[in-house]
Amino acid sequence: MIFHEDKTSYNGKMRVNVMSALVATTACVFGTLLLFSHADSSFEYKMLVMAQTAVSIGSSSFTLSNLIEQGSPYIGNLSAPITIVDFSDFQCHLCARHVKNAEPLINETYIQTGQVALVFKHLPNRGFDSMGAHIAAQCTNDQGKFWQFYKLLYENQQAIDSGWVSKDNLNKFASQISGLRMDQFNSCFDTQTYKDFIDNDVKLANSQGFFDTPSFIVVDSIDGSDPEIIRGAQPFPSFQSVIEKKLDELKK
Amino acid sequence: MISIPLSVKVVFSTPTYILIAAAVAIPFWILFNVFDQLIFFEPIWIFYLPDDAVTGFVLMTMISILLGMIISMNVYVITHSKLKISRKSLFSGSSLSIISGVCSSCSSVGFLLISTFGSVGIVASNLLTIYQIPLRIISVAILIFALYSIHKRITQSCVMSSNSINS
Repeated sequence: MIFHEDKTSYNGKMRVNVMSALVATTACVFGTLLLFSHADSSFEYKMLVMAQTAVSIGSSSFTLSNLIEQGSPYIGNLSAPITIVDFSDFQCHLCARHVKNAEPLINETYIQTGQVALVFKHLPNRGFDSMGAHIAAQCTNDQGKFWQFYKLLYENQQAIDSGWVSKDNLNKFASQISGLRMDQFNSCFDTQTYKDFIDNDVKLANSQGFFDTPSFIVVDSIDGSDPEIIRGAQPFPSFQSVIEKKLDELKK
Repeated sequence: MISIPLSVKVVFSTPTYILIAAAVAIPFWILFNVFDQLIFFEPIWIFYLPDDAVTGFVLMTMISILLGMIISMNVYVITHSKLKISRKSLFSGSSLSIISGVCSSCSSVGFLLISTFGSVGIVASNLLTIYQIPLRIISVAILIFALYSIHKRITQSCVMSSNSINS
């Protein structure tokens, strides 16, 4: 096939069009970059502001004994040398991805073997209904049923603020847990017993620069030192690399 | 058998346009996957594709490839002086492609919306998250339309030799 093209008609109008095309395309690309870079700068700005309020918190907040004393739900051996602090929201689909993919492997490889303890911190930021779900979950922790409730919520997760964590549905989920006393649960939930507790978790998360879920901080259990941050629903190898590195350091 | 459209054959017979397409598609593909939390650079470099992300990933890959192709074909049109580009076609071509592609990843910048607009941002972010897949399908549709437009522009501007048709 042969194509004949007339290249002699490069007139003024064409030049304007070509320039417009280039300017518009460049503007779009730079606009995109600006949008994403704004996200970063906004994040860093927030981190800076929140860091000023973090002075009183410090790393001692993340010792395993402190976290348990505060009433945060946990699984694992109390003498585990490493603690993973998980900041999550029950309505966040990336948190559900983590619970489905990476967490079972972390549990099997490190928690069941006594090397790691996992502590849950509430970071309800994905919708208006999240707070209720977190209050209910913390209420189940009173009766030692947090992790069953946690699993139920992530298994039944639906679209954000679609009503799937309405009071009635939270009651239904709670009633599926064998051994959970519903009168005690309802009383705890209705009086919003853990509202302040969850607000404090949010403050703690923000003070550490965590605004998005899921976010993790991996620390030495005894003194909460040497924090390693993992952002997002990362696969198991990401956690493995951090944990193995820490275990190696502890052996030295 | 699926035949490759004439415009695609014409444009991508030149390596430069393949390079332009790749130079656009690859960064966008990486960017979209970073925002979809499928590629991570810390603590290790890793890519993974969980079951729940397959549909979004396929659509995002299509969007990146289409974006690369459309921008490259637009550059072809611009650099071939016989072809005139009106502002209308420009909008329906490259610009719209980029805008639609970027909008597809809006759900991933929910944090930005929340931190900037408070509760209104939460609503916007939630809507974008809930309708992420339909939005991406719309983006693919717009990009296919843009590809069709640029295909028509390229083929209609070419005069096929009668000798080549007969042979």
